[in-house]
Amino acid sequence: MGSAGAAAAAGIHDGELGAPPQTYTGKVPWQEGAADAPPAALGTDFRFFTPAERSFIEAAVNRLIPPDPAGPSAVEANVPFFLDRQLAGPFGRGDHYFLGGPWKKGAAEQGYQMRFSPAQLYRAAIKAVDDYAAANFHGAAFASLADADKDKLLKGLEAGTVQLGDGVDAKSFFAMLLQNTKEGYFSDPLYGGNKDMAAWKMIGFPGAHYDYSEWVTRHGEKVPYPTVGMKGRPGWSES
Amino acid sequence: MRRPRIRGKAALGATAALGALGLAGLAVGQILPPLPAHPVTGVTPVGFLAAPIADTTPNAAQLQRGQYLVRAGDCVSCHMREGGDPLSGGFALKTPFGTIYSANITSDRETGIGGWTPDQFHRAMHDGIDDQGKNLYPALPYPWFRRISRADDDAMLAYLKTTPAVSYTPPPNKLPFPFNIRFLVKFWNVLFLKSTDFRADPRQSAEWNRGAYLVTGLGHCGGCHTPKNWLGADKGGQDLQSGKLDNWVAPDLTANPRTGLGGWSVEEVAEYLKTGRNARAGAGGAMADVITYSTSLLSDADRHAMAVYLKTRPAGAEPAIGAPDAHAMARGAAIYSDACASCHLENGVGQPRLFPPLGHDAVLQQADPTGLEHIILAGSRVGTSPAAPTPLTMPSFAWKLTDQQVADVSTYIRNSWGNRAAAVSSGSVRSLRKSLDLEAIRYTANSGDQN
Ligand code: HEC
Ligand code: HEC
Ligand code: HEC
Repeated sequence: MGSAGAAAAAGIHDGELGAPPQTYTGKVPWQEGAADAPPAALGTDFRFFTPAERSFIEAAVNRLIPPDPAGPSAVEANVPFFLDRQLAGPFGRGDHYFLGGPWKKGAAEQGYQMRFSPAQLYRAAIKAVDDYAAANFHGAAFASLADADKDKLLKGLEAGTVQLGDGVDAKSFFAMLLQNTKEGYFSDPLYGGNKDMAAWKMIGFPGAHYDYSEWVTRHGEKVPYPTVGMKGRPGWSES
Repeated sequence: MRRPRIRGKAALGATAALGALGLAGLAVGQILPPLPAHPVTGVTPVGFLAAPIADTTPNAAQLQRGQYLVRAGDCVSCHMREGGDPLSGGFALKTPFGTIYSANITSDRETGIGGWTPDQFHRAMHDGIDDQGKNLYPALPYPWFRRISRADDDAMLAYLKTTPAVSYTPPPNKLPFPFNIRFLVKFWNVLFLKSTDFRADPRQSAEWNRGAYLVTGLGHCGGCHTPKNWLGADKGGQDLQSGKLDNWVAPDLTANPRTGLGGWSVEEVAEYLKTGRNARAGAGGAMADVITYSTSLLSDADRHAMAVYLKTRPAGAEPAIGAPDAHAMARGAAIYSDACASCHLENGVGQPRLFPPLGHDAVLQQADPTGLEHIILAGSRVGTSPAAPTPLTMPSFAWKLTDQQVADVSTYIRNSWGNRAAAVSSGSVRSLRKSLDLEAIRYTANSGDQN
């Protein structure tokens, strides 16, 4: 138990990555009522973004996934709220990232190499992009640019042709923003995005059902289940 | 991070010895100890109970018999605390009046019962009086144990005296005045200790009588399965018609076809007692330990005899049951199909011996829905046995379903597939959720809702 105790002290718990192996004899331990309940985003208030940052994020994600007859835009799907809660929590703090030096520009396979936690990166990058917009588009903040200019700037970030100040790597920020936007758009509504499961309905994914194994070999068939999230669907409480 | 542990356990109705209301609302919350270790014996409790006693041992026949009877009496379920040695006691039985700790009944002369005489032991089992002449609380199920024959008491004591001596003194009981006055148990005994020594019924078969001896004696099945009055004693004339304990419901075991064993065959009852599961049900809650430490370790003949006897118990009167609300049924059906049907399958047919079928199911049709709500909120694990060593677990839905949703899915399954029982209210789910303190139970650091 010594090593388990040490791991617990370091904030690692049974069953988590990094937890030491344990031996059980006699019976398999079980705790009534315990569940690895996913951390749901409750409420509607924004906790991380300032109003200006929120305007930036809404404008940016709505260019990444704009309104479209096929399905909701990123803003309609509540992606900014999802991002806000992610950045306010363990993801934002970079709990699972190595953030120590050296901070050299690594190869692509080496993944995230910056000294910013994701929350710090968003904060610094939003400011840097707005500064860049002001300098290059007649003093305007990113959010008030015309769609075509927003796209031009975003493409510049993606390609790395736009240089940002404050030590922010434009490409890395864009990659993270795009990735997180997709996550907010398609993840379970419990985390705050994918409002009304509209993104799932758009692509015909019936959601968090327990078991799809009988469908694995039935290619091209429509799965007739109602779309459901981890915390249910309207039919669970409306009738 | 808090990791309290709740243990459903045999807080028998009779623990309500000195007044008040049955055993509602008891949850045993304590911090999870490290690995279960058995420092003296170094064996698992089941290994301990099944340890062979060589025929060459002096007095082997009596000792083997005594060991068998200790299994039949489920002594280990109560006389073992988490991480402690079997029979060394210290298990906290929570009652509405306070906590009663089980005694050390190993052969230790100082802290156990190594120095007890057969007369003293018989008096404890028969009359609830300890070696000092003091009253024991009926948390020790002597109202049932008193039906045991003297020869069987002697055999148990002989065996207990061969168990490894464990020096351990349980903590003092936490009973407020006046429940801490043992003397008052005498009045309880005068009022309620009606049971007599076992008398065989000559009109019944030898097997039936053997079953009756085990069920109403050592097995003390009525300790949980018989409803209790406000003083914690059996309600007269309602034997085995469903009792409540520790936020669980021990279901009706009478011939009632809806809530009892009326639809079960003798073989099905016997299989349940052997493996904790059969084609109809799985044994969770407090019954899991009864299976693991007691009935799974008995002989097929004795389990069959208990089943034969149980199948002859008369059913109580059937209540009038109104039709459920159609809206609640529609919501419940939606929840069932998304959250439950993956294991219990559409139409509740289940996977016999893995996921209990829910049609014509007695557990979920009990008048008191606490047991059903408990299973859905907190999950439940089927007891293991040598014949079925893999525990099967129903997951906890406390984080996923609201009180209203638990109520609706309960109402739905209580009124589908041949089931018929009163609707469940969200208020009862709310109070159970509170008394189980489920909000405090989380496993991982990231688990739970962000506030
Ligand atoms: C439902 C739980 C339960 C079961 C089952 C149970 N006991 Fe106990 N037993 C207790 C409790 C609680 C006490 C302490 C009572 C008290 O302090 O008044 C106790 C006390 C005793 C005592 C008195 C010990 C002393 O030092 O005063 C003996 C003897 C005993 N039990 C034997 C047995 C045997 C033998 C079995 C199995 C056949 C058994 N018990 C099964 C709960 C149980
Ligand atoms: C400590 C309390 C306790 C004792 C003692 C106890 N039971 Fe149970 N029993 C329960 C509970 C609680 C359940 C419900 C289990 C569940 O919900 O899965 C149950 C369920 C059962 C069932 C299944 C009923 C059904 O319809 O699914 C049978 C059969 C049964 N018990 C028989 C016995 C017999 C026989 C004895 C005595 C040897 C006994 N029980 C002693 C608590 C107890
Ligand atoms: C992962 C599989 C699984 C899921 C999902 C599941 N159950 Fe269970 N269920 C089990 C197992 C295994 C048992 C046996 C456990 C026991 O009785 O202690 C069980 C037992 C039960 C019982 C007791 C039946 C009896 O006769 O003992 C009821 C009632 C029940 N489940 C209802 C539900 C409801 C309602 C849902 C949905 C909210 C649900 N279950 C979801 C696996 C599951």
